[in-house]
Amino acid sequence: MGPIAINGLISANLNLVIAVFLGMGFGFVLEASGFSSARNIAGAFYGYNFVVVRVFFTAVIVTMVGLLYLSYFGWLNLSQIFILPTYLPSMITGSVIMGLGMIIGGFCPGTSFAAVAIGKIDALFFAIGLYIGIFIFAEVFPFLEKFYLSGYLGHITLTDLTGIKAGWWAFGFTVIALVAFWVTASIEKKVRKKIKEYKF
Amino acid sequence: MNRNYYFLTAIMFVLALGTLFISERVVSPQISPDELLWDVLQPTRFVTTDQIAKRLIEKDPSLLLVDVRPAAEYNKFTLPNAVNVPLDSLITPAGQEYFGNPGTKVVLFSNDAILANQAWVLLRRMAFKDNYVMKGGLNGWIKTIIQPERPPQTAPETAFERYDFRKAARLYFTGAGVVNSGKSSSKTKVVFKRRKKAAVAAGGC
Amino acid sequence: MHVHELNPKKTLWVLILFLIVIIIGFFTMKRPLLKYQLSLKQSTKILKDTSNNYFYPYQLANVLDHKNKNVVIIDLRNKYAYGLGHIPGAKSIPSFNLTQKGNVKLLKSYKKNGITVVLYADNQLDADGPWLFFRQVGFCNIKILLGGYDYYEAHKNNLAQTKTDGSYLKGIPRFNYAKVACSKTVTAASKKAKKPVVFHRRKKVAVAAGGC
Repeated sequence: MGPIAINGLISANLNLVIAVFLGMGFGFVLEASGFSSARNIAGAFYGYNFVVVRVFFTAVIVTMVGLLYLSYFGWLNLSQIFILPTYLPSMITGSVIMGLGMIIGGFCPGTSFAAVAIGKIDALFFAIGLYIGIFIFAEVFPFLEKFYLSGYLGHITLTDLTGIKAGWWAFGFTVIALVAFWVTASIEKKVRKKIKEYKF
Repeated sequence: MNRNYYFLTAIMFVLALGTLFISERVVSPQISPDELLWDVLQPTRFVTTDQIAKRLIEKDPSLLLVDVRPAAEYNKFTLPNAVNVPLDSLITPAGQEYFGNPGTKVVLFSNDAILANQAWVLLRRMAFKDNYVMKGGLNGWIKTIIQPERPPQTAPETAFERYDFRKAARLYFTGAGVVNSGKSSSKTKVVFKRRKKAAVAAGGC
Repeated sequence: MHVHELNPKKTLWVLILFLIVIIIGFFTMKRPLLKYQLSLKQSTKILKDTSNNYFYPYQLANVLDHKNKNVVIIDLRNKYAYGLGHIPGAKSIPSFNLTQKGNVKLLKSYKKNGITVVLYADNQLDADGPWLFFRQVGFCNIKILLGGYDYYEAHKNNLAQTKTDGSYLKGIPRFNYAKVACSKTVTAASKKAKKPVVFHRRKKVAVAAGGC
């Protein structure tokens, strides 16, 4: 629970309990917005269903804009927010692998569990594969370690990197996202015309 | 297309536009001006030279003396085990490492209490707690501890007790008052435990 | 198709809820009376460049003769001390009342009209904190009376002559410390303490860890 936990307002145990509830909420929203369907996720790559893009973009812009407002009202200290450390080469490689995995498997790690919960067999095999992959990665990690830790940039934000105000980034991303909503909707329309049978 | 989508797009666009106009909070944590003024008016930050002398004699490990005078004056004379943090380095990360350590009470001093007090105000603005100011400064230190004045005969008992303590403290700090003209220094080599970079737990998707 | 996709109306409601939270935030936001106008760096700079900080006791003579009308003197001591005696023409604002809206407005109006405000208390130290505070929140017209009321009280009949007197100046060593306070025996005594002294430096503040 971010800044609440590190300011000592709640104990570590309560923090875990809250994490469970947040996880449930996350899973619920993933399912409710259609992420438990491999077709929905792979559809973003084939152009007949962009719900994944829209949901993620919505989450990103609402959070981004919301955090800036909360910080402005003095409700949230942005300097206490966890920022994922940046390792440039390994992150680019990782995202390419993840994208390939999403097209092939039709899930990303989190959504596969949401799909297992509603009884999808393909998701079950995806989740098993996930653990095998983790095991293999752990075994070969000593060979990859140098690459894994290369290009360390620290806990940086785009504002730190470029010096451009966070508000501009939020605005820019929102505009991109809003344009993407309308563009994807029109692409969907065109592509779906060619598909005769379409169901989820 | 549903009409609601137009509303959604419009609201989100306006909200994002708003973020351009809201000012960002300062990165370094500072306390609010109202709070600062309130704290500035409290006299609790002042400690006397007698209290410092007592702590020094007792070798109180939680006491850290910080000399805020310029380095040149610090090199000539300072109190035992004091570290030098001139006004300029107060606002640098290197100078700030001495402040805000849990369990450590930092006492600032200068020639008078003025400069130390100003340093205290700046530190308080930067939200540092547990800092104190030695009232009288080094001038007061000389006047009270090194050259204590004998209280008049009519003075209360406590004044004489204090005088006795100061004489003893003087003995401790100057070594029986033997005057030596040779160059001397009361500074010790100070070694600091280097602060380690905080490890942050990694998260992932 | 999923419910979410079919029902943009629900999404709209959620977004309106989000909007309401933000509007509430705007209305409940604390708007501070005062804001820092000087950065920390600028603050240290004004402490070093003392030309604009001080009001000397001999300058008081002009003010008390009504020759210099551009100066307002403010007494920061409590009402009782003010009642016992104060600099003629001084306005009483006990330091604990300084943040009151009316007083801040008064100071702002002085600043607007280019009037120099001189703060004083019993001694320089007592007025030093409030003075540095007001300098940091942007009142560049505020000065501090050196020597304070104590010095004024002792010299009120010959203020003009105190120009050459330096006894009220602070921040200068009055003793040759190294000579007075140290001796060879000190080094001998402190040899015991020569073992390395370990201070704990502060660790970085922890940030919350997490991921998605």
